[in-house]
Amino acid sequence: MIDQSIVGKEIPPISFPIDRSKLAELSKSFGDGDPVWWDPAAARAAGFEGVPTPPTVTVLINHWRDGGVTGLMESIGADLARVLHGEATWEFLIPVRCGDELTARQFVADVSQRQGKRGGAMTLVKIDTEYTNQRGELAVRRTDTLIEREV
Amino acid sequence: MNATDTAVLPATPVTLAEGDELSASVGPLTRTDFVRYAGASGDFHPLHHDEVYARAAGLPGVFGMGMLHAGMLGVHLARWVGPENIRDFSIRFTGQVWPGDELAITGRVERVETVGRVRTAHLALAVARQTGDDVIRATATAVVA
Repeated sequence: MIDQSIVGKEIPPISFPIDRSKLAELSKSFGDGDPVWWDPAAARAAGFEGVPTPPTVTVLINHWRDGGVTGLMESIGADLARVLHGEATWEFLIPVRCGDELTARQFVADVSQRQGKRGGAMTLVKIDTEYTNQRGELAVRRTDTLIEREV
Repeated sequence: MNATDTAVLPATPVTLAEGDELSASVGPLTRTDFVRYAGASGDFHPLHHDEVYARAAGLPGVFGMGMLHAGMLGVHLARWVGPENIRDFSIRFTGQVWPGDELAITGRVERVETVGRVRTAHLALAVARQTGDDVIRATATAVVA
């Protein structure tokens, strides 16, 4: 059960690489096998300064946090079997490219209760994340809303 | 312009006008697709790969990670407008995706605004199942030519 007291809680920062093998796996998992997503020569031939990344590339953080996605949910006290991803929002400030090293700072921005469509109560948790690159530039801002359904 | 006709991932802003559309389809999705995305993304939530766990949680079986079809929408958006031209991307999950589902990815330019020399397209996007139910409703903005 998620508690209001976690508002403002900072999740320990994590640095992680945007590396070629994971980029190839990720784009292929989306059904897009174009080497421009992982091969520097293909990216250059297509006119890019560096290997571009899909909009949802920051998911790669999950490989570096203890326990991955489930580790994040446990760190905020959520019951894994009752949590859904409700919303996600990204703001892109600087392109994320293959070879970057991102550092994520995450904190719990809000916790609220709401009645679900079928009458049950739901707890909504908003998590804000700022991803800074190896040059210290704020590259991506992301907000996620997790929903914990009542039993 | 239809993204499925675009051979090359755009490196520079593309020309878009109000009413232009994106249309693509993916699937049918399999459990293997879910497992491949689990390995690629590091999302090992058991509801998405462990049938026994999913049934014990009261579900008919495993279902796809929201970030899988969000990512599929993301690459189609990127192929339409260019990955480095996207400024904002905002998605709301409105349903779940199950093995066997075939998804329709759609997008439309709602309006294009010009501020100084920068043209920004406001896009409405969706991912729908074969039943017609939306599983994602999304918006995005992108710099266009």
